[in-house]
Amino acid sequence: MSFFNPVFAFAFIPFVVIIYNLFPKKLRAGVLLAISLLFFAFVSKWLIIYLLLSIISVYVTGISISKLEEKKKEALKTVEKEEKKSVKASYKRKEKFVLVLCIIFNVTFLFFFKYLNFFAVNANLLMDYFKIGHRITIVKHVAPIGISFYTLEALSYVLDIYYGKIEADKNILRVALYLAFFPQVLEGPIARYSDTAKSLYEGNKVTFESFNYGYQRILYGFAKKLIIADRLNIIVKSVFEDFNSYNGFTVFIGVAAYMIMLYMEFSGTIDIVIGIGEMFGVKVPENFRQPFFAKNVSDFWTRWHISLGLWFKDYIFYPVSLSKSMKNLTGKAKKKLGNHYGPLVSGSVALLAVWLLNGLWHGAGWHYIFFGLYHFFMILMGNIFDPSVAKVCEKLHIDRHKKGYRIFQSVKMTFWVFIGELFFRAPSLTVAFAMLRRMFDTFSFRVGELFTLGMDRKDYVVLMIGLVGIFIMGIVHEKGINVREEISKKKLVTRWAILYAFILVILIFGAYGQGYVPVDPIYADF
Amino acid sequence: MEELIEILEELQPDVDYETVDDLVDGRYLDSLTILSLISEIEDAFDVEIPTVEIIPANFNSAAKMWELITRLQEED
Repeated sequence: MSFFNPVFAFAFIPFVVIIYNLFPKKLRAGVLLAISLLFFAFVSKWLIIYLLLSIISVYVTGISISKLEEKKKEALKTVEKEEKKSVKASYKRKEKFVLVLCIIFNVTFLFFFKYLNFFAVNANLLMDYFKIGHRITIVKHVAPIGISFYTLEALSYVLDIYYGKIEADKNILRVALYLAFFPQVLEGPIARYSDTAKSLYEGNKVTFESFNYGYQRILYGFAKKLIIADRLNIIVKSVFEDFNSYNGFTVFIGVAAYMIMLYMEFSGTIDIVIGIGEMFGVKVPENFRQPFFAKNVSDFWTRWHISLGLWFKDYIFYPVSLSKSMKNLTGKAKKKLGNHYGPLVSGSVALLAVWLLNGLWHGAGWHYIFFGLYHFFMILMGNIFDPSVAKVCEKLHIDRHKKGYRIFQSVKMTFWVFIGELFFRAPSLTVAFAMLRRMFDTFSFRVGELFTLGMDRKDYVVLMIGLVGIFIMGIVHEKGINVREEISKKKLVTRWAILYAFILVILIFGAYGQGYVPVDPIYADF
Repeated sequence: MEELIEILEELQPDVDYETVDDLVDGRYLDSLTILSLISEIEDAFDVEIPTVEIIPANFNSAAKMWELITRLQEED
């Protein structure tokens, strides 16, 4: 189900709010859990079993690690000082064993649903190449919705317990609600237990204030999707399905349109998730922070799909780059290469692991792996050349903090990110390279061709106004101003008037009906 | 503390380490600079910083870093 379905926004959410408010405070978390599980079962049917298995596995693992910790503390009281180290190490090994079992259990499901066919297809190709007369049968499996999201969330829960960042929750229903909370389970954000759990269990009443406040955010998401993303989808479909019919400029516009569409669709979905959370008083972390204002590709990934980036940073980048062998490598490299390039050696090994996994997380395909490696390369190059760029700027008396230079950085970064997304959207690597070639080989400013893509002048005008509106909101947010906070200071009548005006704008300018094809939830498929 | 500030200034100049208290959240220090920083701190103060301690709260200011260093030295 798409969150942008009117039934979801205008019937399901108000229905959930009414049911939720009917129950006393201490039962409301249970109501949210029941609704969340029913919602998941409605979308993914019997595949809910895999979500339940994940919940049980992380709950049992958390409790087991916590019991081992208690036993360790008891054991430490009775042993001599010199034995303490070996007792600690022995319990750490046991905890690690339980943790690894849980990780394998959960990753196996993910592998089975998402990657088995990819590996089978490539294994068959290899066997054909080496003339081995054996083939692996390819069977298509429908994956439980949001498996990539809730699996990472589940792993973060047990890893945080293992690292001692959080205590294991003794109530399985609470763990279940953390993992299955209905707005979050489809497309994230990949929240940490320490971020959302407490507010999820509080059972705060949905008030007129919180309903209005949350609905403003939901409508902002709707505006991004219906006014902008669904219009851009027309351009994207035309260009990607028949790129050979268009000149390089139009192909570039198609690629740029895809990136902006992806942003509007995904961040719009997250607006809805956060908005629903706000109604129930649940703190859902932000997943975007004006990504196109980033100064380089590395900065972009701290502003785009923030929760995924943080997951990889905390559970892959630092554990890999700060492992014993990598620390030794950093130490040696620092002596030879200095403070900047020394740590870059181990850092790039960890970055490679992060971006390979990031690419694979998005999908089972070589173009996704290439997408990951492309970003690894861009970030690495950025780090290698940064000191030289700084020196050149100093010699040329260019202030890198000045607005003009920052705009130049953002434009350059946006171009590189557009190219990365071309590999992401194209059906295969071959098509992606062919599109890239076409973009440069046949580039000419034939603006008129844009009107052959399926959008008329009115559509372009609405699209441009919408984009300018989002851009201005971006500048305002970048300056640290919270528009909704400002609105919330107004009188109740004004607030409701703004809400209705927003609905009206979406109804009038939304791209629905004949000639429009709504964008499918892109990230839900990951 | 002075030695720590010297390390920080060498890695990332143009920051007032006496006052800034959002070094990580404000993106003054990126992941690779933090790797260099950890390596420098471990060498200079003879401590080992476990992965679990690498959270913004411990690295957002020079004072917080100093707290972490002294805590790790005491635990040792």
